[in-house]
Amino acid sequence: MRIQTPIIILVLLILFSSSCQKVITPQLSNGAPQLVIEGAVSDTTGPYHINISKTVSFYADNTYPNVSGASVTITDQTVGVNDLLTETSTGVYTTHSIVGTPGHTYQLQVVLNGKNYTAVSTMPLPVALDSITFDYTSVKNMIQPVVHYQDPAAFVNYYKYNITVNGVKLNRFQTDEDRLMNGKYINEDLVTDTGAIKKNNLVLVNLDGIDKGAYNFLQEAENIAFYNDQLATPATPTSNISGGCLGYFSAQTVSSKSAVVK
Amino acid sequence: MLPLKHLVIILLLLSPGLVLAQSKKTFTISGTIKDKASGETLPAATVSFVELPGKGVTSNSYGFYAISIPEGSYTMLTTYTGYTTDTLKILLTKNMLINKSLASASGQLQEVKIKSSTARSNNILTTPAGVQRLNIKDINNVPVLLGEKDVLKTIQLLPGIVSAGDGNAGFFVRGGAADQNLILLDEATVYNPSHFLGFFSVFNSDAIKDISIYKGGMPANYGGRLSSVEDIQMNDGNNQKFGASGGIGLIASRLTVDGPLFNNKGSFIISARRSYVDLFTGFASDTTTKHSKIYFYDVNLKGNYQLDSINRIFLSGYFGKDVMSFRNSYGLDYGNSTGTLRWNHIFSSKLFSNTSLIYSNYTYDVNIDDNTDNIKVSSAITDYHFKQDFTYYLNASNKLGFGLESTYHITQPGTAVATASSSYNDVFLEKKYALESALYLSDEWNASDKLKITYGVRLSDLSVLGPGNFYTYDKDGNKTDSTYYKSGKIVKSYITPEPRFAASYQLNPTSSVKLSYDRNVQNIHLLNNSAYLSTTNVYLPSSNNIKPEIADQVALGYYHTFHNNGFEFSSEIYYKNLQNQIDYKNGADLVGNPNIEADLLYGSGRAYGWETYIKKKSGKFTGWISYTLSKTELKIPGINNGDYYPATQDQTNHISLVGMYQATKKWTFSADFVYNTGDAVTWPSGKFSVDGAPVYYYGARNSNRLPAYNRLDIGATLLAKKTTKYESSWTFSIYNLYGQSNPYDIIFQADPNNANKTQVQQTTLFKMVPSVTYNFKF
Repeated sequence: MRIQTPIIILVLLILFSSSCQKVITPQLSNGAPQLVIEGAVSDTTGPYHINISKTVSFYADNTYPNVSGASVTITDQTVGVNDLLTETSTGVYTTHSIVGTPGHTYQLQVVLNGKNYTAVSTMPLPVALDSITFDYTSVKNMIQPVVHYQDPAAFVNYYKYNITVNGVKLNRFQTDEDRLMNGKYINEDLVTDTGAIKKNNLVLVNLDGIDKGAYNFLQEAENIAFYNDQLATPATPTSNISGGCLGYFSAQTVSSKSAVVK
Repeated sequence: MLPLKHLVIILLLLSPGLVLAQSKKTFTISGTIKDKASGETLPAATVSFVELPGKGVTSNSYGFYAISIPEGSYTMLTTYTGYTTDTLKILLTKNMLINKSLASASGQLQEVKIKSSTARSNNILTTPAGVQRLNIKDINNVPVLLGEKDVLKTIQLLPGIVSAGDGNAGFFVRGGAADQNLILLDEATVYNPSHFLGFFSVFNSDAIKDISIYKGGMPANYGGRLSSVEDIQMNDGNNQKFGASGGIGLIASRLTVDGPLFNNKGSFIISARRSYVDLFTGFASDTTTKHSKIYFYDVNLKGNYQLDSINRIFLSGYFGKDVMSFRNSYGLDYGNSTGTLRWNHIFSSKLFSNTSLIYSNYTYDVNIDDNTDNIKVSSAITDYHFKQDFTYYLNASNKLGFGLESTYHITQPGTAVATASSSYNDVFLEKKYALESALYLSDEWNASDKLKITYGVRLSDLSVLGPGNFYTYDKDGNKTDSTYYKSGKIVKSYITPEPRFAASYQLNPTSSVKLSYDRNVQNIHLLNNSAYLSTTNVYLPSSNNIKPEIADQVALGYYHTFHNNGFEFSSEIYYKNLQNQIDYKNGADLVGNPNIEADLLYGSGRAYGWETYIKKKSGKFTGWISYTLSKTELKIPGINNGDYYPATQDQTNHISLVGMYQATKKWTFSADFVYNTGDAVTWPSGKFSVDGAPVYYYGARNSNRLPAYNRLDIGATLLAKKTTKYESSWTFSIYNLYGQSNPYDIIFQADPNNANKTQVQQTTLFKMVPSVTYNFKF
């Protein structure tokens, strides 16, 4: 129900035609660059990657300097297997042997410049996406994928969706939890940018089952990325990695479906 | 309950002001002050005596006054702004009943004469610090958005009261939050005073007689909110003849009918408004517009009946609703309804009583009906309120007010009902019950002809009641304990004494100094972590977790009138200390959350400032300049390292200028200008990537500023026709004349035209909005 306010603004914009939008460039304070760790272990075939980078200022390009020289380890705490990752390109650290298994708990350990960053994430049991369809009418000029799947009633579930169009992943994500829909058969419209999906596109949707720590970060990050104007007090998303960095580590299940837009 | 006589004796013993001289034989003059033409009672009219400088009394909200003075012969003056002063010679040898009907002064020129002949010191002494009173006539010429006269928008041009921005009916008084204003319509609390999500207030100015605004020095009969009281009184209706008035505007039209009932012993008024943008959207070719709706309507009703010379009853009600929908798939409706039944009874010439039974409700519903879901989300707050007030006109120097009130609050924080095929489960959050009661007692004491002191105390209680489950939480928000309380069982009681004190000292016939101290307690808290004064608000009473919010305020002011009372100048400083202020944890979810109290943070705050106001009250040109310099800060553990930080509404500078010029008998021109420092906001200090999307990180809370807000509006009124039977006028206005882009919404987002960049986009709602309204009256 997060989409309410933009729709209200839209209604107001339609009705009060004297309103207008423009791009402004207010002065922003530039914080010192911070460390960002992002990565996941999933129930799909490896290897898996951990990405380490630095933040940039708001008006800079979306190019985030990668950070090399970290020692990165992922441990399957359930079975006691360690994997020391190799830096395969600058700031990208790749696993060798570790396998993602639902129900297992994974620990990420990063040591960089003598500082320790750790996170623990438990892979939930898989939830399968049944199908995707398209909604052509809910929002003007926007074709929205609709996901269809059964939420298991016996568990508390957290989800993340990603969309890939003609093999190109959209720079957008969406989160969900079953707090208000536990055990229901879920049909949900995914938000996309205007014009992102067109007729005859091949659309692939990923449904990731994630744990609470990763969800908390991703849900706050989603609000900050896409709805920051609606937050009375926007704040930095709370990372599930301890040690003083941004980003998240997630052990997740992945289910995907694709369809062509008619 | 104690018999009244005993209560009075106790009051006498308690009150230092009351033990003074009772020597010479005194008699009481009492009565009701009315408008000659309509029979409307006039609140806050002044009765004074040429022979007794500094003594006087103002009529109460029902036009009743009483004053006890030594026997003798006097020249009694009855004055009311905009009305011809009545002069009466009396020989006082016994208690007297003197009812007065004042004639409205037509035209500004006459008003000059009135001013110069009135006991000009009155205003200086009788109005306590922090109080502003506006007659509805005062606001008629102030230009407003789309020509809809609006009391709540107009008071935002006064010092110390600032707007929450374009498209937001919320306003901040002396640094208080928008939910800290007690807005009363005929004593009933109006929870959401906005139409169209805040573009207009719910108060139809045709139905309103008078508004009193208390920014400080609240009399002890008011309580329940920290920052201010806006006490709005509806018109009673003309008891002399039937009449109708109305207006046709661009956004809405309104119609008011009033007239006498029961051989002029009573009167009624019905006033209704409806907006009609939606009637045109239906013709739009664009399907989104065609199937989108937005409209509001409201109805004010009031009737009164004078049973006999000592009993009068009033019944008034308000009902309003806003409806909007988007492509038939998303709908929102919300509205307030209130009802007040009052009984005025005059026990004796000295004791006036009012008993009220009051109902108030605010409800909102959100309907989502798209291809995949069908859900209805609702939330409501309902009050049942009993109030008993007494005014005892003890002697020429003391007026006592005492009474009690009790409100039963039922809040429904949220329900969601979904169809079986929907992705959502039904959610029913537990209703919350609370009983809020207060006893108060105050004395208005004319200690000398130069010194007036109003002092009193209000003892308030909030009892959290069952039925329901009550939880305690640890600092991480995890439940540590749960207890079920049966219906009517008291979970927790908060008793708070609220001392109130206000003193005015007249330095000379044209100037005075005023000092006030007051404590206010707030037990109904509005939770809203959205940047908009959204309609999907959650109201919660104080509970085992949420403590009553408390504000203590001290204010000192200087008042001066000059140029034969043609100008009024005032300057006030205030300092406010706030306790138990509420904020939210990061990512707090307020919708459908049974553990909402686990997501709250508590802290303290302080607000201080300096307000200056100069008003030209008479002549062809009238108007005012107001300036406020202020600071409002919060200190909440867990935010900004527990240091003081600026509250969102911390607007350092606020200036408003209002001018009205009566050029000819037909034309009146007006203009207003507003400037204020932008709100304190939190903007990104940088960005990083999550799943390819830019996500922002933030430094200290509220360390950035919105651009300063400024706007000039102009208006003109043409009196087209004026006969004794029919009157019509045209009002033209242009809102935001020079098209300043004041921000309504600012979003930090990925640049849609350059995947490698992020940008800041601002939405402005109103850039130069012209309007025309036709008004009529017969």
